[in-house]
Amino acid sequence: MIESDGTASLGEARIEAAYGSGDGDDTSSATVARPMEGKIFEQIYRPWNGPLGPRWVRNYAIYRHHVYGIVSGSGHRRYHPFVRLLLLVVILGSMTPILMLLLSTLVSDDATGFLNRMWGVNRYNLWGNVLGYFPRNLCMWPLLTALVVGGLISDDRRNGTSAIYFSRPVSRLDYAAMKWLSAASVLAIVILLTYMMYYSAAVVFKGEGWSYIADTLPIFIGGLLAGIFLVFTYTSIGIALSSISTSRFTASISFLGYILGSKLIAWLIEIQFNTTYVYMVSPYDCLAHVGQWLVGLPSNYDHPLALSVISLVAMNAASLAIFASRVASLEVTRE
Amino acid sequence: MTNPPAVTLDHVSKWYGQVIGINDVSIAIDGGVTGILGMNGAGKSTLFKLLMGRIRPSKGSVRLFGTNPWDSTAPYRRIGYVSESERMYDWMTSIDFVSTLARLHGMTRAEAEFRAEHALSFVDLGDVLNKEIGKYSKGMRQRVKIAAALVHDPDLLILDEPLHGCDPLARTSIMNVIREMGSRGKTVLLSSHILEEIERITEQIVILHAGRLVALGNLHAIRAMLDKHPHRILIHCEDARALASSFIDKQPVYGVRFLDNERLEIMTKDLSEAHSILPALILESGVPIHSIENPDDNLESLLGYLVGDSR
Repeated sequence: MIESDGTASLGEARIEAAYGSGDGDDTSSATVARPMEGKIFEQIYRPWNGPLGPRWVRNYAIYRHHVYGIVSGSGHRRYHPFVRLLLLVVILGSMTPILMLLLSTLVSDDATGFLNRMWGVNRYNLWGNVLGYFPRNLCMWPLLTALVVGGLISDDRRNGTSAIYFSRPVSRLDYAAMKWLSAASVLAIVILLTYMMYYSAAVVFKGEGWSYIADTLPIFIGGLLAGIFLVFTYTSIGIALSSISTSRFTASISFLGYILGSKLIAWLIEIQFNTTYVYMVSPYDCLAHVGQWLVGLPSNYDHPLALSVISLVAMNAASLAIFASRVASLEVTRE
Repeated sequence: MTNPPAVTLDHVSKWYGQVIGINDVSIAIDGGVTGILGMNGAGKSTLFKLLMGRIRPSKGSVRLFGTNPWDSTAPYRRIGYVSESERMYDWMTSIDFVSTLARLHGMTRAEAEFRAEHALSFVDLGDVLNKEIGKYSKGMRQRVKIAAALVHDPDLLILDEPLHGCDPLARTSIMNVIREMGSRGKTVLLSSHILEEIERITEQIVILHAGRLVALGNLHAIRAMLDKHPHRILIHCEDARALASSFIDKQPVYGVRFLDNERLEIMTKDLSEAHSILPALILESGVPIHSIENPDDNLESLLGYLVGDSR
């Protein structure tokens, strides 16, 4: 029997069947809670007639979502704390020449002194700040790219979160361009900004004048161009690998494998057969070759510069074509 | 010049190789709530994918506010879409998530936060908007999606199975939201394979079956039409034979069947008339009744009548 007197709560109900100490002949009883009266919740909708921003406002929202995530986890793309820590280490690592410049200034090392030769502004150091192999292109830049770009598209592919964008007035071109730009920006901040800081610090610490700037600016701009090519190429290859994968780990490892593996194979072939042509398959070596020409350094490679340029263009074109093709098919067959 | 309808499909067909997703469907929908009914594989998802520009029609044309969604994302400024399968950023709080999506529509940060808070309160999540989405229940997640779809005050709301997996409280909340939007003159399209769900929200329905449009219009009108077809009423009582004798000579009843001693099935060709005489006859017979059911009152039966044996 169920009775409802409207006063007792469920906690007072006797449940003889389960816990009763009687012999079972008693009349079973239970008490149900009195139903609540009134509305469960109130729903009031207020229309909104405000203007919606143009395309660039929407695109900026995508861009900032990805870039701001590095410094603020709230409301933006989530970057793992390890990635953030590594970014900090890479930024600090790429700023060590500035510290050494300061040191050479403090110990009054002259222009031909050891510290100045090692850390001061010259063609080799400007090139090395962007394209030096160890530690920058062996450890820092590839790892930075792999960690930043690895999950950029693959996470969306795995989770289906790209539909969030395509259900809104965001075209696939906007989506792809902003993803690419946000990754390139992070790389540019680390690689190019620290490069520019290094050059500016040299001018400021040494108290150099306009004539010094006029002398070194072309070399600096050459190095800057080489850095821009590096950021462009690494971002394109990384994002292409991310777009064909559903795992950020696979995308990152593939990127590292390609950058470091192609260099290793080319090096083994060079020492075995004494030819540098195979370096054409290595993105780093193509960039280094072009970079040497841009800053006016003697080339380390036997093959013509044009082949490295063609290879670089082909790598970027192929990467962007893969990326565009994968983004075009995103969410088309899902659901 | 008059405004084009929110949704226009003109002889639209979509096939995937040998499989037909949508077959020659033509509809125009503008204003109010419209339920898209169909069993699994009927073409509801294909229809929504066509509307959302995810796939291109093999034949015919799709227009949202007069614009082809495959060619332009412009109509999406006026559309809110809730996908059944769409994932969210689980690490974000609902306020962050909804305001992030509001910014994808071009709102400023202040506008986005203000509207996100309002939209979340409207779907009854105002007290948990600073909680991470990953910690939400299925019904709460569904309401976050609806809030994200409403945040920019769209003119057209497309909801793919919005009540799927929700508890009764969440269902009531979502149904209230849908009815409210419809009453404000917005166009709301929602899909479901459960007739009762749609019936509680709207009278305007579109029924799809095997990619074809089999019925379109007012649910009551379709029901009235179907009422003239054979129907069954299942009565669970204490003495089926005693109750049957009260029905057998009455006009709308053309047959009775005993499933067992306590279950009686009545066959009628006029369901409304049968239900109108039912209470008086039961009282007259004095047989205690446990339940009365209409086994044919579901989408499957409705489709059975609409498409006949071709199913």
